[in-house]
Amino acid sequence: MSLKFYRRVAFGLSLNEKPDKDPLNWALNQLDTIPNLLWPGIIPTEKELRKKYGEWVYGDREVLRKKFKNDKHAYRKAKDELRIKTGERYFELNEHAIRHYQTKYSKQPVFERFWLFWGNHFAISEKDFLAEFSTGPYQREIIRPNMVKTFEEMVQSVTTSWCMIHHLDNSESFGPNSKKGIEWRETINENHARELLELHTVSPNAGYTQDDVIQLAYIMTGWAHKWDRKNLETGDIWFDQEMHQKGDKIVLGVKYKNDAKRELTKVIHDLATHPICIKFVSTKLCRHFITDEPTEDMINPVIEAWNKSNGSLIEIHKAVITQAYKHNESTHKFHPPEIWLMQLSRMFDLNIPLSSEKMNYSFSSKPNRRQRQLSWILREIGHSPYRAKQPNGWSDFEADWVSPELLLRRFWFSSVELPILVKSGNRSHDFILACLKNNFEDHENMASLIENFRFGTLDYDLGQKYGVICNLPGVLKA
Amino acid sequence: MNCTRRNFLIGGSTTLFLSGYFPKISFASMQKKNLIIISLRGGMDGLTAVPVIGDKRLKKLRKKLILEDVLNLNSDFGLHPKLEIFHKLWQTNQAAFVHATNIPYTGRSHFDGQNLMETGAHIPYKEKTGWLGRGLLASNIIGKGLAISLPMPLLLRGVPQNNNFFPSPDFVETNLIDQIYNEFNGEHNELIKSTLDTIRQRPLSMQIATDSDDRKKLALEAAKQLKDQSGPRVAVFDLDGFDTHAAQGGVDGAHADELEEVNKIVTILHENLGQAFDNTLILTLTEFGRTIKQNGGYGTEHGYGSAILMAGGLLKKSQIYTDWPGLKKKELFEGRDLNSTIDSRAIYNSAMSVCFNQDPEFLRKEVFWGDELPDLSQELFKI
Repeated sequence: MSLKFYRRVAFGLSLNEKPDKDPLNWALNQLDTIPNLLWPGIIPTEKELRKKYGEWVYGDREVLRKKFKNDKHAYRKAKDELRIKTGERYFELNEHAIRHYQTKYSKQPVFERFWLFWGNHFAISEKDFLAEFSTGPYQREIIRPNMVKTFEEMVQSVTTSWCMIHHLDNSESFGPNSKKGIEWRETINENHARELLELHTVSPNAGYTQDDVIQLAYIMTGWAHKWDRKNLETGDIWFDQEMHQKGDKIVLGVKYKNDAKRELTKVIHDLATHPICIKFVSTKLCRHFITDEPTEDMINPVIEAWNKSNGSLIEIHKAVITQAYKHNESTHKFHPPEIWLMQLSRMFDLNIPLSSEKMNYSFSSKPNRRQRQLSWILREIGHSPYRAKQPNGWSDFEADWVSPELLLRRFWFSSVELPILVKSGNRSHDFILACLKNNFEDHENMASLIENFRFGTLDYDLGQKYGVICNLPGVLKA
Repeated sequence: MNCTRRNFLIGGSTTLFLSGYFPKISFASMQKKNLIIISLRGGMDGLTAVPVIGDKRLKKLRKKLILEDVLNLNSDFGLHPKLEIFHKLWQTNQAAFVHATNIPYTGRSHFDGQNLMETGAHIPYKEKTGWLGRGLLASNIIGKGLAISLPMPLLLRGVPQNNNFFPSPDFVETNLIDQIYNEFNGEHNELIKSTLDTIRQRPLSMQIATDSDDRKKLALEAAKQLKDQSGPRVAVFDLDGFDTHAAQGGVDGAHADELEEVNKIVTILHENLGQAFDNTLILTLTEFGRTIKQNGGYGTEHGYGSAILMAGGLLKKSQIYTDWPGLKKKELFEGRDLNSTIDSRAIYNSAMSVCFNQDPEFLRKEVFWGDELPDLSQELFKI
């Protein structure tokens, strides 16, 4: 059994872990429960962070802009102070630490890989201050708890989450015949409805029309944040009947009777259990774990498990893992930069993330260089996880990740930055050899490529060794 | 108000039919010609960039998005004040615009739309290569594409050995690549291997660390490479943020900020290409325009027809090339969007034919599957 399965569906093996006698069961057994978040530092709730978000936008928009409207420089200074006070520069760093600590130490790394997958399927792209305050807690509180429920339940939670509603502008969508729509002469914003169809559920394969998008947008009107003068757009999500489009709606040929907030539950049920949705999402799962172009014989068993279990994510995940195991030898899956980094961190016990004590923040000065380090690395290797450029998230295709600069960034990281992250007790050549042996069948060949540097323990020597090892085809891919 | 359909259509196509294609062999055509594409992701609003001032309907439908201080182009069209460089170049016949144009895509999805604007195809995600990459390959121009972004844009895929420039913070020793190069065996490693080839052939100035957040520096290096007679012939810039569903604003709004970025890049290219600017075409590319009417958040929704901003010495003259569809309700696409009366791929095909010294008819077949795309080179470009 090839060791690459441990990188295919997880993050490779740390030196404390040994290959299991039954790798398939090892993986399948990790999917029934939600592992606790292990980060020993602070893990703020979504609500707490939304409050901070509110303080930041209120302070900037309602106070500073008015106070300093004639003094650009004073405004900039006051704004920087507000950034520090509200943690605008800090919370995303802490979220990255929580995430990478989890993928490094979790006893259920396979579960964690699915966590990353779903967070990206229901991606929150770079918009307003979501990455700074909200995307991290959304991943923890909306995506994670739903991973042992059904796909439909996941879609329900995501669609009515503050983060997604803000991301896709649903609070700005008014039924034109609703009370507020008439009073304020407002109309719909289609964005959220379109992405719910296109990205989250049925995909364009379902052949929906512009009319379907509009009708779904009508159904979704009213799902919005509560707005008030102090919290602005950061109030809780509720259903505002006065924004809701009256009358029956028809989406993909199905009629939804005028039924206020219950319309959304019904339409999500139909979308999330639609055969085209099931095929679309099953294909994406296979693409993520098996190969860029999954075949029917990989996808069909996942669809079968989906149908049999009425969309239970536990069963779906198990089917995907079973297929990944079955096709492990015959396929090669290229890993995007963040997963590559997580694997290096786990296999070679790198010093990331920073310890929770050192991540503590005083809200009185800018986060220091060490606190910014992990997030900076992620950005420089081209994969800052909460800053996808578009709502379709990060690509799962190799071609999107292979460009001269993106490959050079990996060489840069592994030869220049990585040596700084090697723990003082791990600088010997033997340590590297042990890690290689634990994770790669062809570890002897790999070792021969760094033989020239075997006696070197300076940062430069480590850089040469890791620069070679980390960019070998068998490390870039599993 | 005389902005009715077909008023602006310039140049008949009958002459073209008869003329055939006879590339001129002159000193000018020996010079390297550069084609620069700036992708404007999110849906660039052609009516904000090049507003139709001759039609009062626009103001009526966009009360909160009114543009003041519009730069004058002609009696019917103005230019957004942030697009200063285009206005300056307009005076010397080095800026022009195509209006009411788009790729033949009406689905209003960013992801499908961006996929199609890059592949040039009709079905999203079906093609895995970009029209520019295929155009280069068909013209046998290999290893001359340069992307100014970290990932390789789909637009340039389809031809091997493209380069990109978006440097890391520190110098990278390329000897590391030599040490592992031979490990990349088998078909599944070919893409990485050919990318490593490209890295090994990079000029020294592209190996130097810089600050990739600084668009100015990137555009400067691009200009430097493009100016080099043996350097790249194609460059692709990538801008996003045009999806202004809210707070789109007028002169200083969210859309204006993005147009300002376009202006910056073109300004730097113009200043630093020097003489090479005369042999250059700069064209924008977007997935769709935006609705005529403002929405609830003083933004606009995904629409259809947009505009192409063009600059460079290879333009025939300053002009607004359009088959104007009008803004009356019945003239709009699905009653809401500016219609597209020109398949924008015709412009890109013609631009490639000029810059790659290639028969447009041949490119149309090789790149766009023989789709009906009229040759507009004589109307728009110097040939």
